[in-house]
Amino acid sequence: MRDFRKSKRLLSRRQTLKGLGAAGVGLGLSSFPAPAVKAQSGGPIRFLNTETGRETLAFFDRIAQEYEELTGTEVIVDSVPLSESFTKITNGIRAGTPYDIGTVGFIGHVLLLADEGHIVPVNELTDAHQWGNKILFPLDGQVFWYPFDYNLSVIYYRKDVYEENGLSVPTTWDEFVANSEASVAGRRRGSLFPIGSNGATNWMSFAFMWAEGVELFDDEWNVLLDNDEMAPKAAAYLDMMARLYETMPPGALQASYADVLSNMVAGTLTHGPYAGRVLEAAHRDNPEVAAQLDIMPYMDSAGEQTAVSHGYDGWIVMNTDNLGPAMEFMRWMTNERMIDFLHTTPVHFQPARLDIYDNERWRDNPMIQQYGHVLEMNRRFITDDSVILTSIDTQGPAPDVRPGKIFESFVLPEMLQNKILRDMDSAEAVAQAAARMREVIA
Amino acid sequence: MTRWLLPGFLFVGALATLILIVGPALYAISLSFYEQQSLTADPIWVGLNNYATVLGSAEFWNALGNGFFYAGVAILLQVVLGIGFALLLHQSFRGRTLLRGLAFLPYLLPTVVAVLTFKWMIDGSLGIVTILVDDLGLPPIYWFETESAAMMSVILVSVWLWTPFVTTTFLAGLQTVPVQLYEAARVDGAGPIRRFFHVTLPMLRPILTVIILLRGVWMFNKFDIIWLTTGGGPLGATEHLPVLAYRQAFTLFDIGNGAATATLSFLVLMVIVTLYFWLFPMDEKK
Repeated sequence: MRDFRKSKRLLSRRQTLKGLGAAGVGLGLSSFPAPAVKAQSGGPIRFLNTETGRETLAFFDRIAQEYEELTGTEVIVDSVPLSESFTKITNGIRAGTPYDIGTVGFIGHVLLLADEGHIVPVNELTDAHQWGNKILFPLDGQVFWYPFDYNLSVIYYRKDVYEENGLSVPTTWDEFVANSEASVAGRRRGSLFPIGSNGATNWMSFAFMWAEGVELFDDEWNVLLDNDEMAPKAAAYLDMMARLYETMPPGALQASYADVLSNMVAGTLTHGPYAGRVLEAAHRDNPEVAAQLDIMPYMDSAGEQTAVSHGYDGWIVMNTDNLGPAMEFMRWMTNERMIDFLHTTPVHFQPARLDIYDNERWRDNPMIQQYGHVLEMNRRFITDDSVILTSIDTQGPAPDVRPGKIFESFVLPEMLQNKILRDMDSAEAVAQAAARMREVIA
Repeated sequence: MTRWLLPGFLFVGALATLILIVGPALYAISLSFYEQQSLTADPIWVGLNNYATVLGSAEFWNALGNGFFYAGVAILLQVVLGIGFALLLHQSFRGRTLLRGLAFLPYLLPTVVAVLTFKWMIDGSLGIVTILVDDLGLPPIYWFETESAAMMSVILVSVWLWTPFVTTTFLAGLQTVPVQLYEAARVDGAGPIRRFFHVTLPMLRPILTVIILLRGVWMFNKFDIIWLTTGGGPLGATEHLPVLAYRQAFTLFDIGNGAATATLSFLVLMVIVTLYFWLFPMDEKK
């Protein structure tokens, strides 16, 4: 066998080790945090999509091809689930290959990107239209995204179960809990409102509290939750949720969007929160249930106020060297192909632009005609100022990242869990949540 | 050609290690010395502040405790059950080959498939287990509704998924033990239990040491099962250090604290592994 130690080598062992050591140090130093760079220039428009339904993906394939034929500009569409969007966008920026257009579903992310100068105002696209309530989130008059839909969480209920049990649409918490209790039969449970530390709970389970008039911040961003006015309301909400929990199936503490959706579509719940996707899924998989579904807003304890939980999606235009072509593509898509896009998921994509509700072509869609009553009620929720339209991430006097931090740290779901899981006194659970909120936004 | 073969392989290996392992690890560690509120924000040097913050938080110590409990109980069950199954599958009986194949099946499943299947099976309304329990007239099982139940559930899934690894490895080891040793022990009057403790276990000690080491490292760092089943909840009851680090870095976008937590997790594991090798040396002392 050849003895490598005795052979005449180009590099000595010492030199090899020194070389490898230097390479390691160099590599290590080179990977220390470095500022993000912009590198896009001229090439194809890179579009990050988060709507992954089959029809929507086909739509983007179609319009990318159409736009290239029309203008000669290539459009590359990448699609990821919404939960991956922000990481994908920021990784692109960090790697020097940012997307030119992105999709986001969390206003905190828009604010972060705007604050760091990674996205540009799109007023030239949005100013031409009328919009529903609380959807543009302007910063000093500048609008940094093009919202394409609302995803309002409302309460779906089964009309047939209501008829069988002689129930009427509730206007107070007591009535709602009573209806939920009365409709438990066999394997069908009264309701399912998620309680775990996840986005589903943040979105679906707190609008009862908003209807009661609870606000998280004052105009100076001080936490209000435990003050004399809000604390009793929040505590009453927790007491109500503890009663409602008794009518829920096992698993509420881990329930996700999918759990609520599948249970509603399967017909094992009388009440469940969601946006239009419930109707889309039930229409496809269980039309009998779909025909029996109707919606109501969340109500307060006294029957005086209603609320819906805010949800939304929109497009952002990134500050890349491809800005001009990207903005032109956005102009073309939002002017010429917006209805086609919305028709890919007709009920769930509740338009943010008010002119669309009266657009004949939009209304001609069979699904929209069939579930028109739901869409009309949803339209009222975004135009009627008496309906409270808010969510954890949109609380406060102005668009800001602080409510986003409360959302992401799951302070309010933990307040619910303290009550339901640990049977904590409601006032104590509220006080703990308020203290935690102050920590999070400090 | 042969003159350059070994240095060439060494160079490629070293380069790959530097780029794929050392580089990212150094980068992750470097992030822990900066404050950075998003992946794109400019980092600010804060020295050891992130470590002070993390070590001063109750979340870290809760996650560390959860990690030890989760890994400890899961490994214990995996090893005990795995050895039991291996001993069973080492016996001669009809259908042994088929059963050996089936026993390995859970290990072949991607974690995400196994976890989602488990969650569907126990869905509170529609799950097959829920319906079966209901049909038997038994009260519903609240798999994740208390802090201890959630921990037991994630341990259960982990044990189901990774016991086959222990079984297979131990079974392979069993087949290397000379039959003469068992025959000699039998002649000396040793029963099955004594043969196991005085022949099998001493012979397979090195394998067992490696199994426990590997399973320990993997379970302590195991992210996907907990993230997919409970997300670390309820109320942090199943949150261990990898989940905490991920949540800090990619949910709260507190990159510095996330990196500090990950680095501390790495250091804790290093200490444990060193202690383990000290307590259970792989080589017999000459």
